[in-house]
Amino acid sequence: MDELQVVEFVATYLKKKGFSEAENALQAEIQRNKSSNNTNPIDILNDPELSKFFRTFSESEDGPARYQDEYSKLRSWTYSSLDLYKHELLHVLYPVFIHCFMDLVAKGHIQEARTFFNNFREDHEMMHLRDLQKLEGVLSPSHLEEMEFAHSLRHSKVNIKICQYSYELLLQYLHKTQSTKMLGIINERINFQVSPGQPSSISDDAEIVTLIGSNQDAANQINQKEVHWGLLEDSLENRLEKTGLISDSEKAEGENKEAEIDENKKRPVEGGKQGASIKKLKKDKAINATAKTSRLEANTVSTAPRVKPDLALPVMPTEVEQSILEDLRNRVHLSSAALPSVSFYTFINTHNGLNCASISQDGSLVAGGFSDSSLKVWDMAKLGQQAVSSGLQGENDTTPREDIIGPNGRKRSYTLYQGHSGPVYSASFSPLGDFILSSSADTTIRLWSTKLNANLVCYKGHNYPVWDVQFNPQGHYFASSSHDRTARIWSMDRIQPLRIMAGHLSDVDCVRWHINCNYIATGSSDKTVRLWDVSSGECVRIFIGHRSMILSLAMSPDGRYMASGDEDGTIMMWDLASGRCVTPLMGHTSCVWTLAYRFLLLVTNAYLKISDKVSTGFLFYSLTIIYFGCASCEGSLLASGSADCTVKLWDVTTSTKVLKTEEKSGTNRLRSLKTLPTKSTPVYSLQFSRRNLLFAAGALSKTS
Amino acid sequence: MSIVPKETIEVIAQSIGVYNLSSDVALALAPDVEYRVREIMQEAIKCMRHAHRTVLTANDVDSALNLRNVEPIYGFASGDSLRFKRASGLKDLYYIDDKDVELRNVIETPLPKAPLDTSVAVHWLAIEGVQPAIPENAPVDAVSDGRRSEYREDGISVDIRLPVKHVLSKELQLYFDKIRELTVSRSNSTVFKQALLSLAMDSGLHPLVPYFTYFISEEVVTRSLKNFSLLFALMRVARSLLRNPHIHIEPYLHQMMPSVITCLVSKRLGNRFSDNHWDLRNFVADLIASICTRFGHVYQNLQSRVTRTLLHAFLDPTKSLSQHYGAIQGLAALGPSVVHLLILPNLELYLKFLEPEMLLEKQKNEMKRHEAWRVYGALQCAAGLCVYDRLKTVLLRPPKQSRWESNRKGMIVFPSKRKASMDNLMLQPPVKKMATLGPMGVMPVNSMAVNMQGPSGGFSTPVEGPRAGVSMLRHLQNEKMLRREVSNQALKTSTVLAQAWKEDAEGGHLLASLYELFGESMFSFTRKSELYFFL
Repeated sequence: MDELQVVEFVATYLKKKGFSEAENALQAEIQRNKSSNNTNPIDILNDPELSKFFRTFSESEDGPARYQDEYSKLRSWTYSSLDLYKHELLHVLYPVFIHCFMDLVAKGHIQEARTFFNNFREDHEMMHLRDLQKLEGVLSPSHLEEMEFAHSLRHSKVNIKICQYSYELLLQYLHKTQSTKMLGIINERINFQVSPGQPSSISDDAEIVTLIGSNQDAANQINQKEVHWGLLEDSLENRLEKTGLISDSEKAEGENKEAEIDENKKRPVEGGKQGASIKKLKKDKAINATAKTSRLEANTVSTAPRVKPDLALPVMPTEVEQSILEDLRNRVHLSSAALPSVSFYTFINTHNGLNCASISQDGSLVAGGFSDSSLKVWDMAKLGQQAVSSGLQGENDTTPREDIIGPNGRKRSYTLYQGHSGPVYSASFSPLGDFILSSSADTTIRLWSTKLNANLVCYKGHNYPVWDVQFNPQGHYFASSSHDRTARIWSMDRIQPLRIMAGHLSDVDCVRWHINCNYIATGSSDKTVRLWDVSSGECVRIFIGHRSMILSLAMSPDGRYMASGDEDGTIMMWDLASGRCVTPLMGHTSCVWTLAYRFLLLVTNAYLKISDKVSTGFLFYSLTIIYFGCASCEGSLLASGSADCTVKLWDVTTSTKVLKTEEKSGTNRLRSLKTLPTKSTPVYSLQFSRRNLLFAAGALSKTS
Repeated sequence: MSIVPKETIEVIAQSIGVYNLSSDVALALAPDVEYRVREIMQEAIKCMRHAHRTVLTANDVDSALNLRNVEPIYGFASGDSLRFKRASGLKDLYYIDDKDVELRNVIETPLPKAPLDTSVAVHWLAIEGVQPAIPENAPVDAVSDGRRSEYREDGISVDIRLPVKHVLSKELQLYFDKIRELTVSRSNSTVFKQALLSLAMDSGLHPLVPYFTYFISEEVVTRSLKNFSLLFALMRVARSLLRNPHIHIEPYLHQMMPSVITCLVSKRLGNRFSDNHWDLRNFVADLIASICTRFGHVYQNLQSRVTRTLLHAFLDPTKSLSQHYGAIQGLAALGPSVVHLLILPNLELYLKFLEPEMLLEKQKNEMKRHEAWRVYGALQCAAGLCVYDRLKTVLLRPPKQSRWESNRKGMIVFPSKRKASMDNLMLQPPVKKMATLGPMGVMPVNSMAVNMQGPSGGFSTPVEGPRAGVSMLRHLQNEKMLRREVSNQALKTSTVLAQAWKEDAEGGHLLASLYELFGESMFSFTRKSELYFFL
């Protein structure tokens, strides 16, 4: 009896380690023993069990069939298991499946691997379609080594959380049915994190879904690092609050003499006063400090911690600063009841050549990057003038419009920037709209001046097409991401990158600056989003959860959250501090090309008169709303544009109390507010103006 | 084993000049070819995504090959989708149809038009979260009226065009079908009366107006001139619609009027002997009169056109008597002044034409004679009403002035008793006066036994009432002014008064002439006192 057990043990061990020759030798030995045993009446009692053992071992020669057989058994057992534990057990199936397949390929049973794969791929298509598509092409052991995805899978373990009881059920079953192949895979490839008690809830499977190549533990370790996500100490928002307080008190003083009619005339005077009072306030900061903090507590933005910039940021000219402050003060206040106005720039006659679109902060400039290596910039203000003047001339001039946008090329409606030698994949305006950056397939990034209409600098450094480029929110610095799997930080005055962020396992598809300029976020084809510290160049967060390549990113204005959109139309909200996904936003049916974030309402009990006048081309929009003592209501709005020809507005209001108490409160309301369909125009770009007008751009695609 | 079959590898090998490729090599190469193709496609998809597209193009594959440092395949990046053709005889062999192009043809063909240059158009996708219904936006569901006006109030210069499609709700369709069914088949039921009431009162029927007008005109003109009850029902529907205060029926009047007038002056209405088409004509006459009063100010020429049509029918001796009757009734309903202007001048002539028809000796046909008497009755009624109206204005004149007048003319002095009664009348508030005068105006009509039925009688009252009231008030004002002027300017007054007196005298003449024509029966239209005043 003892001897038999030992033999069994040895056999399994050999099997597991793949010592097939030794195993065969052992089997031959056992076979001989068995035949002798059969004649021996003493061992008859143990015969059924023994014969079973021997049968299983004798079958091991036709390994490929056993994979298929055992997997299908495990599968049917899992599907018929108790509902309570089913979802946990189902998670085990997928890693087992892909490792079975890869084992088969590695052993050279290509044909069997193919049939095995095709038999069971349907089970996993819903969750892991993209992975399956990649793996499908693996057809020889050498491909396994070559393909990074497969390679990393085979050299790392998958973490699966499972409850005690499910784990025992699984092991029991595997032992009972003698599924040695399955046991081997599970032992070798899966790292069970057995937790006592009840099975976890179904929804909490974000981490299990993505089988990333990198080591999970490493990712967890990275996510332990501290992220200072607060706003900049001296940001304009911050200043606005200060000036807001001043203007409040000023208004209170002069309220009786204030008539609505001379409101507009008073504005500039007020601005001057505030400018003076800012300086005053800075001087006697200490005195005001206590009062200020008490006031600021009610405000959402103010609750965000302040951080110092790690970069030396450019200093803005005071007049620009004033105008920005003016804009911020006069912005339209949005709420779930008062949605933003959306102005849509439609590119027509693009002949499928438009690769990207970008809108400047104030919406006056629109840039389009084309596959014919050109970058075209439209000045909306000029366009409007031309339309008006042509309308005026209309009586004497017979064909005014044709002349302007005519094909003769002498008078174009746009400014043409030529210089790239490959499709332009991305363009980004500087905060003040005086520069444009464009990135291209020719591996370069070019800086253009909108004032001079000329190319200023060509930044070379990437080795492959540069997919995305974005200006720092304060200007001067910019970040780029490329097919060479790196993201780089540049400054305008140097032709060499300042930092190179390496770590992504595949293309870095998009890059965005954090609001406080200390971090950048990158989205990649490896289905992860990473957050990098700009000053150190280190990865400080890995966000795992997307099921396909990341196409768009957006940072919340308070710096606490980030949204990312992927190829399947899923948008995920991330908490930067914890590195966790807040909630996935489902709704889009196709690629989410662009995201834009905006606060809904930040104002406490203030008297506000908002008058927003934005002239966009020939459209003129004027709006006046008066709020009296708005109740404090915090929240934020996320706009997303997609290839399914819609702009969606989401209410991503999150509880601000999370800040104080680290635990998660369940009051997060994330819901779709509105879907704005366009007329067969995929939305390429979204941009909120400082006055909270939403600009969108897209190319009209005729569906024939 | 792999998707790429061994044969493909062999074909490819041959195409690049390798002819002695062993099948083992081909078999080994096949999986690798598939893997490489997949790899290239994966890169191509990345390029496609970064170009913000969802359709893969040949350009993307070229860029992917570029990324892998492979020479791109030239000749496919045309933008057009490639056309694969199936090789004849073989099941799954496809090839790209690559035609030889004659160079001369290429040179000779004129240059194609240059493609339009890229441009940017701006529009509002949403205004405060609401999508305006402009052509640039994707069509939204039918915008309600309330919303549309909301935009207008915002003062945004956006041209709002509603979707062209006219949407009729299921409920309204059911309603329309029900009304139609009732009108056509069950016009005697009480349900139909309720339906008429609903048509006259309900506020949500506006979308149905075109359908109803079409229904009425279609039924009247094309099909049912012979079906008397249906005609009557249709006219009732028309009247209910016209009375509904929530409906703007003006744009559809031109469609409705022909059918209504047809019902008044058509030669034959109904095909049975028992059909009382006189009733219908009376009913329609009132209907037309009410249309003219209600919409006369909107369509200036409405009444003139109606009267012209009716007058033509009246003066045409070839038309049948029933048509004459309809025309007379229609004109009479339009008011005494119309009668005075259009009927009375022709009265004598017409009576000469009518007389032979009425006499037993001349007209043997009982039916014809009956018709003639009917026409005679209608004429008498119209003329009588006209006379009444004339004399009434005389009576309303303040007695003092009359006496002054009469003194000057040297005619008759009013009895003091009359003066008192007139004063009494003048002191009554206008509304009450109207009430007292209204029935008086209608009474003769009823007494003429023209068979005014309940609803039509009730309808005629409000029509007559205000009219009498209005004319009366106007007179009153005139008189007041007159009196003031009399005291100041005797000269001017005398001319005005002369005019007024002339009218009075004409009234008297009129009565006399009518007496000649109609005999004693005319006196029933005048009051006793006036009678002996004139005779």
